[in-house]
Amino acid sequence: MSQNSIIVTNLSKTFSFPVKSATAGWVKNLFSPEKREITAVKNVSFSVKAGERIAFIGPNGAGKSTTIKMLTGILFPTAGTISVLGLDPSKDRKKLAYRIGTVFGQRSQLLPNLPVTDSFEFFGVMYGMSDENIQARVSELVELFDLSSFVDQPVRKLSLGQRMRAEVAAALIHRPEIIFLDEPTIGLDVVAKKVLRDLLITINKEEKVTIFLTSHDVGDIESLCDRTIVINHGTVINDLPTRELSKAFAYEKHIDLIPKTNFDSFPVLPNGAVYFSKNKDKITVTVDINKLSVQDSLKKLLNLFEVEDVDVYNTELETTIRHIYERDSTRA
Amino acid sequence: MKEIRLARKIIKTLVKDRIQYPARLFADTASIVARCGILLLLYSYVFGLNNGVIKGTTFVVVAWSMFFYFSFSTLGLSRIARYIMQDIISGHIEVLFSKPIFYLSYRAWWQIGVGAYPFVVTTILGSTALIFTVGVPETMATSLFYLTFLLTFVGAVIVSLFVYTIVGLLAFWVEDITPVHWIIDKAVMILGGSYLPIALFPDFMYKISLYSPFGASVFVTHTVYESWATVWYKLIGIQMAWVLVLGIIVYLMFSKAVKNVSVNGG
Repeated sequence: MSQNSIIVTNLSKTFSFPVKSATAGWVKNLFSPEKREITAVKNVSFSVKAGERIAFIGPNGAGKSTTIKMLTGILFPTAGTISVLGLDPSKDRKKLAYRIGTVFGQRSQLLPNLPVTDSFEFFGVMYGMSDENIQARVSELVELFDLSSFVDQPVRKLSLGQRMRAEVAAALIHRPEIIFLDEPTIGLDVVAKKVLRDLLITINKEEKVTIFLTSHDVGDIESLCDRTIVINHGTVINDLPTRELSKAFAYEKHIDLIPKTNFDSFPVLPNGAVYFSKNKDKITVTVDINKLSVQDSLKKLLNLFEVEDVDVYNTELETTIRHIYERDSTRA
Repeated sequence: MKEIRLARKIIKTLVKDRIQYPARLFADTASIVARCGILLLLYSYVFGLNNGVIKGTTFVVVAWSMFFYFSFSTLGLSRIARYIMQDIISGHIEVLFSKPIFYLSYRAWWQIGVGAYPFVVTTILGSTALIFTVGVPETMATSLFYLTFLLTFVGAVIVSLFVYTIVGLLAFWVEDITPVHWIIDKAVMILGGSYLPIALFPDFMYKISLYSPFGASVFVTHTVYESWATVWYKLIGIQMAWVLVLGIIVYLMFSKAVKNVSVNGG
């Protein structure tokens, strides 16, 4: 866990595209149109150690997919440097491709009309593996990913959960050192998500594969990744162990109040407490413990409401992440 | 070696894929039979009106020349332009760019793989039908024909792939290449002799078919004419020159294009 797999220094990416000008003629718009620039990634720096499981998260349009595409050599950076396994992705794309795996949750790499095994063999040849190695690796992956029940079915007949397992397995055919996953659990049900997350942890532990994941799913981040990098507006705004992410908003507590019968009114709360949700059968209050201690807030709330049960708990990770995005948006 | 193994795998996999859908093959073959058959019936009538010979060419030669065009078109090489456009518009290009392949050669082998099975089936069926209906011209019974036909066929495949790859690569800048593709496709059809046999071309049109890449991409249609014995080296030379020129254009365009990639959602 000591060697760096990925080193990113002052990485920037600007997209430039033509825009039609209402005042210019069609000849100018066609041959010399005005250009508009969008900076998707701005001075991003971070490093990833071999064997780490990284969540690279951010709201839509934050720059995470652009970053992942630069790390895999698909996009060229406008500025900055990238080293992935000691290679520069924009110069050594093909060399690097032999050592990394990619899964793009919204795009399939499998051959839709043929059985899953055909895709595995196809990629095996693509990665220059011998026929014997391909067969051995396919058997290994079929067992590890529990694909045996559908491995002979055409890909287009698989459920989304089965297909995603096959996609990840296909990305691992050549035993990559790093696997980049761009929203791998998108659209999956809770069971399929858990199966996929468990499999990723297994390959990380057993095959020492570094996992670099982008996701909007808090479950992916919480259960899979030991470190989280938060990006927004193209800039890294947080880089910390996932377990410490919640502590970033540890000053917030939620208090659930369950009524004896029903809540009839919703009085003004003491300073430091706000309603998170209010219903006749349940009230949730968010308390800022810098302004109001838990003890004081409980005392005051119990004076205001007649309750049967009380539950005090920390802010969920999802709320924490939302707060981080919102806080950063306000700054921007 | 690795490239050849991958090319073989692509072709084998896609032939297997195509065999899954015999109905699609039947539809493709029926479409070719209908288009080629109607034209051959018309020309058979026209040649009949002129005692079977027009401009020194017999119907049997014209029939085989036109068949070569239609048989070659079942390879579907022109579709490489649309595949490239689709890769760019859908963003699928990111999947291929993350693999250890040269994108354009992968796409070219893919295209050959997609077309190989319908091409072989249509060519066998069509040749058999022509042998029994119109016979075989004398020009096809020479060793020169078989040697040069193969060379011209390979040249035509490469020129076709290059022409349509250039059209496809335009999608990196303009996204929708449909109008350009349509114009090029029609130029190839006309200059290749699909509507009007090249033997009947007016002089200026014959020259365009000879010296443009659109005509060079279907030079197989020339191989059956008597004039082939005297012009084959010139035509193969022209094809080679186009392979070189178009190859350089493809290389330069692709080098620029990869720096112009922008994938939806990133």
